[in-house]
Amino acid sequence: MKMETHKVARLHAILWGIFSLGGMIAAFLLPVLIYMTAIAYPFGLWPFGSPSGCLSCPTRDPSFLVIGHLLGALFVFVTIAGSLYHGIFRFQSALTEVGLLRLKRGLEAVGYSIIFAGIILLAYYLLVLNPSLPAL
Amino acid sequence: MENKKRYPELRRRLSPGWWTANRHYAMYMVREWTSLFVALYSLIFIYGLSLWATGSRAEFLNLLKNPAVVGFSIVALVFTMYHAATWFYLLGAISPVKIGRSTTKPWQALILNLILLLIVSYLAVWLVVLR
Repeated sequence: MKMETHKVARLHAILWGIFSLGGMIAAFLLPVLIYMTAIAYPFGLWPFGSPSGCLSCPTRDPSFLVIGHLLGALFVFVTIAGSLYHGIFRFQSALTEVGLLRLKRGLEAVGYSIIFAGIILLAYYLLVLNPSLPAL
Repeated sequence: MENKKRYPELRRRLSPGWWTANRHYAMYMVREWTSLFVALYSLIFIYGLSLWATGSRAEFLNLLKNPAVVGFSIVALVFTMYHAATWFYLLGAISPVKIGRSTTKPWQALILNLILLLIVSYLAVWLVVLR
Protein backbone atom coordinates (compact mmCIF):
# COMPACT_ATOMS: atom_id res chain seq x y z
CA MET A 1 0.00 0.00 0.00
CA LYS A 2 2.71 2.46 1.04
CA MET A 3 4.80 1.48 -1.97
CA GLU A 4 1.87 2.23 -4.30
CA THR A 5 1.30 5.62 -2.67
CA HIS A 6 4.94 6.45 -3.33
CA LYS A 7 4.61 5.36 -6.96
CA VAL A 8 1.50 7.51 -7.50
CA ALA A 9 3.16 10.48 -5.78
CA ARG A 10 6.25 10.04 -7.95
CA LEU A 11 4.15 9.84 -11.12
CA HIS A 12 2.33 13.02 -10.06
CA ALA A 13 5.65 14.77 -9.48
CA ILE A 14 6.91 13.71 -12.93
CA LEU A 15 3.69 14.82 -14.69
CA TRP A 16 3.71 18.20 -12.93
CA GLY A 17 7.44 18.54 -13.67
CA ILE A 18 6.80 18.05 -17.41
CA PHE A 19 3.91 20.52 -17.09
CA SER A 20 6.31 23.14 -15.67
CA LEU A 21 8.82 22.46 -18.42
CA GLY A 22 6.01 22.86 -20.98
CA GLY A 23 5.07 26.15 -19.32
CA MET A 24 8.62 27.45 -19.78
CA ILE A 25 8.61 26.30 -23.41
CA ALA A 26 5.20 27.90 -24.07
CA ALA A 27 6.40 31.13 -22.44
CA PHE A 28 9.80 31.39 -24.15
CA LEU A 29 9.42 29.66 -27.54
CA LEU A 30 5.74 29.63 -28.53
CA PRO A 31 5.32 33.43 -28.98
CA VAL A 32 8.06 33.58 -31.61
CA LEU A 33 6.68 30.53 -33.45
CA ILE A 34 3.17 32.06 -33.56
CA TYR A 35 4.65 35.38 -34.68
CA MET A 36 6.54 33.71 -37.53
CA THR A 37 3.66 31.55 -38.77
CA ALA A 38 0.64 33.78 -38.09
CA ILE A 39 1.95 37.34 -38.51
CA ALA A 40 5.32 37.46 -40.29
CA TYR A 41 4.44 34.98 -43.04
CA PRO A 42 0.86 36.02 -43.96
CA PHE A 43 1.75 39.74 -43.82
CA GLY A 44 5.19 39.45 -45.44
CA LEU A 45 7.11 40.78 -42.43
CA TRP A 46 10.59 40.04 -41.07
CA PRO A 47 12.08 37.39 -41.21
CA PHE A 48 10.02 36.08 -44.17
CA GLY A 49 9.51 39.23 -46.24
CA SER A 50 12.46 40.11 -48.46
CA PRO A 51 13.90 43.60 -47.79
CA SER A 52 12.69 46.19 -50.28
CA GLY A 53 14.95 46.56 -53.30
CA CYS A 54 16.80 43.30 -52.60
CA LEU A 55 15.94 40.98 -55.47
CA SER A 56 18.66 38.44 -54.76
CA CYS A 57 17.73 38.01 -51.07
CA PRO A 58 16.31 34.53 -50.40
CA THR A 59 12.59 34.51 -49.62
CA ARG A 60 11.75 31.85 -47.11
CA ASP A 61 8.48 30.63 -45.68
CA PRO A 62 7.51 28.68 -42.51
CA SER A 63 8.12 25.36 -44.27
CA PHE A 64 11.82 26.23 -43.90
CA LEU A 65 11.35 25.69 -40.14
CA VAL A 66 10.56 22.05 -40.83
CA ILE A 67 12.86 21.19 -43.72
CA GLY A 68 15.57 23.88 -43.52
CA HIS A 69 17.84 22.04 -41.14
CA LEU A 70 17.74 19.73 -38.16
CA LEU A 71 17.66 22.54 -35.59
CA GLY A 72 14.47 23.96 -37.12
CA ALA A 73 12.68 20.61 -36.89
CA LEU A 74 13.92 20.23 -33.31
CA PHE A 75 12.66 23.74 -32.49
CA VAL A 76 9.22 22.91 -33.92
CA PHE A 77 9.07 19.59 -32.06
CA VAL A 78 10.09 20.98 -28.67
CA THR A 79 7.83 24.04 -28.98
CA ILE A 80 4.70 22.27 -30.21
CA ALA A 81 5.06 19.15 -28.03
CA GLY A 82 5.84 21.18 -24.88
CA SER A 83 3.02 23.65 -25.53
CA LEU A 84 0.53 20.89 -26.32
CA TYR A 85 1.33 19.05 -23.09
CA HIS A 86 1.19 22.23 -21.02
CA GLY A 87 -1.98 23.53 -22.68
CA ILE A 88 -4.00 20.32 -22.42
CA PHE A 89 -2.78 19.49 -18.90
CA ARG A 90 -3.65 22.97 -17.64
CA PHE A 91 -7.00 23.16 -19.43
CA GLN A 92 -8.08 19.76 -18.15
CA SER A 93 -7.10 20.88 -14.65
CA ALA A 94 -9.04 24.15 -15.11
CA LEU A 95 -12.17 22.22 -16.13
CA THR A 96 -12.12 20.34 -12.83
CA GLU A 97 -12.21 23.73 -11.07
CA VAL A 98 -15.41 24.88 -12.78
CA GLY A 99 -17.70 22.08 -11.63
CA LEU A 100 -16.35 19.09 -13.57
CA LEU A 101 -14.38 17.54 -10.72
CA ARG A 102 -16.56 14.41 -10.84
CA LEU A 103 -15.36 13.87 -14.44
CA LYS A 104 -11.70 14.15 -13.46
CA ARG A 105 -10.72 10.61 -14.50
CA GLY A 106 -12.48 10.91 -17.86
CA LEU A 107 -10.96 14.34 -18.53
CA GLU A 108 -7.50 12.98 -17.69
CA ALA A 109 -8.01 10.03 -20.03
CA VAL A 110 -9.11 12.27 -22.92
CA GLY A 111 -6.38 14.83 -22.16
CA TYR A 112 -3.52 12.33 -22.05
CA SER A 113 -4.83 10.60 -25.18
CA ILE A 114 -4.76 13.91 -27.10
CA ILE A 115 -1.27 14.69 -25.78
CA PHE A 116 0.06 11.23 -26.63
CA ALA A 117 -1.50 11.10 -30.12
CA GLY A 118 -0.46 14.71 -30.86
CA ILE A 119 3.18 14.18 -29.91
CA ILE A 120 3.43 10.87 -31.81
CA LEU A 121 1.88 12.42 -34.95
CA LEU A 122 4.10 15.50 -34.67
CA ALA A 123 7.25 13.35 -34.45
CA TYR A 124 6.04 11.17 -37.35
CA TYR A 125 5.31 14.13 -39.67
CA LEU A 126 8.65 15.78 -38.86
CA LEU A 127 10.48 12.52 -39.59
CA VAL A 128 8.59 12.13 -42.87
CA LEU A 129 9.09 15.74 -43.98
CA ASN A 130 12.63 16.62 -42.88
CA PRO A 131 15.17 15.07 -45.25
CA SER A 132 18.04 15.30 -42.74
CA LEU A 133 16.17 13.20 -40.17
CA PRO A 134 16.35 9.40 -40.37
CA ALA A 135 13.87 8.17 -42.99
CA LEU A 136 10.99 6.00 -41.81
CA MET B 1 -9.31 -1.02 3.30
CA GLU B 2 -10.15 -1.82 -0.32
CA ASN B 3 -12.49 1.17 -0.65
CA LYS B 4 -9.97 3.56 0.82
CA LYS B 5 -8.29 6.06 -1.51
CA ARG B 6 -4.65 5.39 -2.21
CA TYR B 7 -3.72 8.82 -0.87
CA PRO B 8 -5.80 11.52 0.81
CA GLU B 9 -7.22 14.20 -1.43
CA LEU B 10 -7.59 17.42 0.50
CA ARG B 11 -9.41 19.30 -2.23
CA ARG B 12 -12.25 21.63 -1.26
CA ARG B 13 -15.44 21.19 -3.25
CA LEU B 14 -16.09 24.47 -5.04
CA SER B 15 -19.16 25.79 -6.81
CA PRO B 16 -18.75 26.22 -10.60
CA GLY B 17 -18.87 30.01 -10.32
CA TRP B 18 -16.46 30.43 -7.37
CA TRP B 19 -13.98 32.31 -9.55
CA THR B 20 -16.41 35.22 -10.09
CA ALA B 21 -16.21 36.10 -6.38
CA ASN B 22 -13.41 38.62 -6.87
CA ARG B 23 -11.02 40.04 -9.47
CA HIS B 24 -8.05 37.92 -8.40
CA TYR B 25 -9.97 34.67 -8.85
CA ALA B 26 -11.32 35.87 -12.20
CA MET B 27 -7.81 36.73 -13.45
CA TYR B 28 -6.59 33.35 -12.25
CA MET B 29 -9.32 31.63 -14.28
CA VAL B 30 -8.54 33.77 -17.36
CA ARG B 31 -4.91 32.69 -17.02
CA GLU B 32 -5.91 29.04 -16.80
CA TRP B 33 -8.13 29.34 -19.90
CA THR B 34 -5.31 30.85 -21.97
CA SER B 35 -4.01 27.28 -22.03
CA LEU B 36 -6.89 26.34 -24.35
CA PHE B 37 -5.47 28.66 -27.03
CA VAL B 38 -1.96 27.29 -26.48
CA ALA B 39 -3.26 23.73 -26.98
CA LEU B 40 -5.47 24.59 -29.97
CA TYR B 41 -2.66 26.42 -31.76
CA SER B 42 -0.44 23.35 -31.27
CA LEU B 43 -3.15 21.07 -32.68
CA ILE B 44 -3.71 23.37 -35.70
CA PHE B 45 0.03 23.31 -36.40
CA ILE B 46 0.07 19.49 -36.27
CA TYR B 47 -2.97 19.45 -38.57
CA GLY B 48 -1.04 21.71 -40.99
CA LEU B 49 1.88 19.28 -40.97
CA SER B 50 -0.53 16.42 -41.69
CA LEU B 51 -1.84 18.30 -44.75
CA TRP B 52 1.74 18.71 -45.96
CA ALA B 53 2.78 15.11 -45.23
CA THR B 54 -0.25 13.63 -46.95
CA GLY B 55 -0.67 16.28 -49.67
CA SER B 56 1.57 19.16 -50.60
CA ARG B 57 3.57 21.95 -48.98
CA ALA B 58 1.20 24.49 -50.54
CA GLU B 59 -1.67 23.11 -48.45
CA PHE B 60 0.33 23.71 -45.26
CA LEU B 61 1.18 27.26 -46.34
CA ASN B 62 -2.41 27.95 -47.42
CA LEU B 63 -3.63 26.87 -43.99
CA LEU B 64 -1.23 29.36 -42.36
CA LYS B 65 -2.59 32.10 -44.65
CA ASN B 66 -6.23 31.20 -44.03
CA PRO B 67 -7.88 34.34 -42.50
CA ALA B 68 -9.64 32.30 -39.78
CA VAL B 69 -6.36 30.63 -38.77
CA VAL B 70 -4.51 33.97 -38.87
CA GLY B 71 -7.22 35.59 -36.72
CA PHE B 72 -7.24 32.73 -34.23
CA SER B 73 -3.42 32.68 -34.10
CA ILE B 74 -3.26 36.42 -33.34
CA VAL B 75 -5.67 35.91 -30.42
CA ALA B 76 -3.56 32.89 -29.38
CA LEU B 77 -0.43 35.09 -29.50
CA VAL B 78 -2.05 37.66 -27.20
CA PHE B 79 -3.04 34.90 -24.74
CA THR B 80 0.39 33.28 -25.03
CA MET B 81 2.02 36.59 -24.15
CA TYR B 82 -0.37 36.88 -21.20
CA HIS B 83 0.60 33.35 -20.17
CA ALA B 84 4.31 34.26 -20.51
CA ALA B 85 3.95 37.45 -18.42
CA THR B 86 2.01 35.72 -15.62
CA TRP B 87 4.38 32.73 -15.73
CA PHE B 88 7.43 35.01 -15.35
CA TYR B 89 5.74 36.89 -12.50
CA LEU B 90 4.95 33.60 -10.76
CA LEU B 91 8.57 32.47 -11.12
CA GLY B 92 9.63 35.58 -9.23
CA ALA B 93 6.97 35.03 -6.58
CA ILE B 94 7.72 31.33 -6.06
CA SER B 95 11.50 31.48 -6.07
CA PRO B 96 12.81 34.90 -5.08
CA VAL B 97 16.59 35.27 -5.16
CA LYS B 98 18.38 36.66 -2.14
CA ILE B 99 21.07 39.19 -3.04
CA GLY B 100 22.88 40.48 0.06
CA ARG B 101 20.22 41.74 2.47
CA SER B 102 17.48 42.23 -0.12
CA THR B 103 15.31 39.72 -1.94
CA THR B 104 14.20 40.08 -5.55
CA LYS B 105 10.59 41.09 -6.23
CA PRO B 106 8.26 39.30 -8.69
CA TRP B 107 8.11 42.33 -11.02
CA GLN B 108 11.91 42.23 -11.32
CA ALA B 109 11.70 38.61 -12.46
CA LEU B 110 8.97 39.66 -14.91
CA ILE B 111 11.10 42.39 -16.50
CA LEU B 112 14.25 40.24 -16.58
CA ASN B 113 12.41 37.33 -18.20
CA LEU B 114 10.67 39.58 -20.74
CA ILE B 115 14.10 40.84 -21.82
CA LEU B 116 15.26 37.22 -21.95
CA LEU B 117 12.17 36.37 -24.04
CA LEU B 118 13.17 39.00 -26.63
CA ILE B 119 16.74 37.66 -26.76
CA VAL B 120 15.57 34.02 -27.02
CA SER B 121 13.04 34.96 -29.74
CA TYR B 122 15.67 36.74 -31.83
CA LEU B 123 18.12 33.85 -31.35
CA ALA B 124 15.44 31.34 -32.41
CA VAL B 125 14.66 33.31 -35.59
CA TRP B 126 18.34 33.65 -36.37
CA LEU B 127 19.08 29.97 -35.77
CA VAL B 128 16.12 28.42 -37.59
CA VAL B 129 15.36 30.92 -40.37
CA LEU B 130 18.11 33.45 -41.06
CA ARG B 131 21.19 31.27 -40.68
